[in-house]
Amino acid sequence: MNAILTKFNWFGLAGGATTLVVIAVSLFYPWWQLTVGDDLMKINASPVNTNFGFLDTSFTIPFIWVLNIIGLLTLLLSGVAMIIYSVMPTKSFSKPLLDFGYKKPLFTFLFFVIGLVIVTIILQAVLNINLPLMGSATSTVPIPFVSGITLSVLLSAGFQWSFWLAAVAAGLCIAARLYHRKVAPAP
Amino acid sequence: MDKVRLLLTLITIAIVVVPIVGMLLAYQNNLLGLFIPPELNEIAEDLTGGGEGTNGSGLEPPTMVGEPEYNPATRTYSATFQFKNSFPVDLTIKSLSGNIECYEHGFTLGNASLSKPVSIAAGETGTLTVLGTWTEEAISHFKTAHAGEEFVDVVLVDFAVDISGIQLQLDQSQMEQKMQVPNPAYEG
Repeated sequence: MNAILTKFNWFGLAGGATTLVVIAVSLFYPWWQLTVGDDLMKINASPVNTNFGFLDTSFTIPFIWVLNIIGLLTLLLSGVAMIIYSVMPTKSFSKPLLDFGYKKPLFTFLFFVIGLVIVTIILQAVLNINLPLMGSATSTVPIPFVSGITLSVLLSAGFQWSFWLAAVAAGLCIAARLYHRKVAPAP
Repeated sequence: MDKVRLLLTLITIAIVVVPIVGMLLAYQNNLLGLFIPPELNEIAEDLTGGGEGTNGSGLEPPTMVGEPEYNPATRTYSATFQFKNSFPVDLTIKSLSGNIECYEHGFTLGNASLSKPVSIAAGETGTLTVLGTWTEEAISHFKTAHAGEEFVDVVLVDFAVDISGIQLQLDQSQMEQKMQVPNPAYEG
């Protein structure tokens, strides 16, 4: 029983598989969603797919699209590396695969959260728009070159279940690194 | 083992550098396009009326339909407007409110508000019923300052409208367009 438990790195296997599931899920379900007004505008954001919906038009920003491609490839390679490592944790190439793979889901997760926080801080500082990360807020939006008009919009935002799935994937990959000492003890 | 590490490092660099270089090459003649996609321009045209589509005719002010109705017993009136939703998306006018002032004297006459929320499909025209009440002081003002006038020029102030969760408030400088309302104290 102990041999089976230590033959594979089960945390790595679960972490790698969950990472691949996160990629697939994130193409359709955003990590974070912002709704402006009564569904007049929507921002669906994740490290692998970010799009904007406004007046029935959906679009993406090319610069963000490229960042998403980088995020997708990073997570994809991380997931594959973790799975290959996990089924052969004692091979000579396994430790580099683990080192390559285990941090990336966590870093992707952290970069995404830090990026969102920075965007909200910049919007607050430059445009005085109070963008909630979670929950609802009514924010006054400045209208350039127009005085005498106050535009207030209801902003509703929240992290979606795919965000928490990504957190689980990152946690499993970290656990895989810690469990590695059991499946492949240092000589 | 070192070869594996080197290969993985090269892959890491490649998956970051290749998309960025590709993007820069693709947009080398239009770097602004990296941040502003063409769809944003189309949306701006739709909103400002520059678009060629049937829905992109910009914002049109509501037009009054028929004569306002007045009930002397309750000092209430109602007016019906037609509003064309020229945006390519369904809208719900959830609320609308404002105060009415005498254009000539700046005297506050009463208030106005939407009778009930109205949903208007994209490109369609909806009917808005606005209800209001003249104050007792307003009736006196109509009698003393506008005796003999069948219609009185008024202006809407402190105007606020909630359209699908977007609240727009206009101060007096944005509401200079005067309207004519029947004088409730006019006796012909």
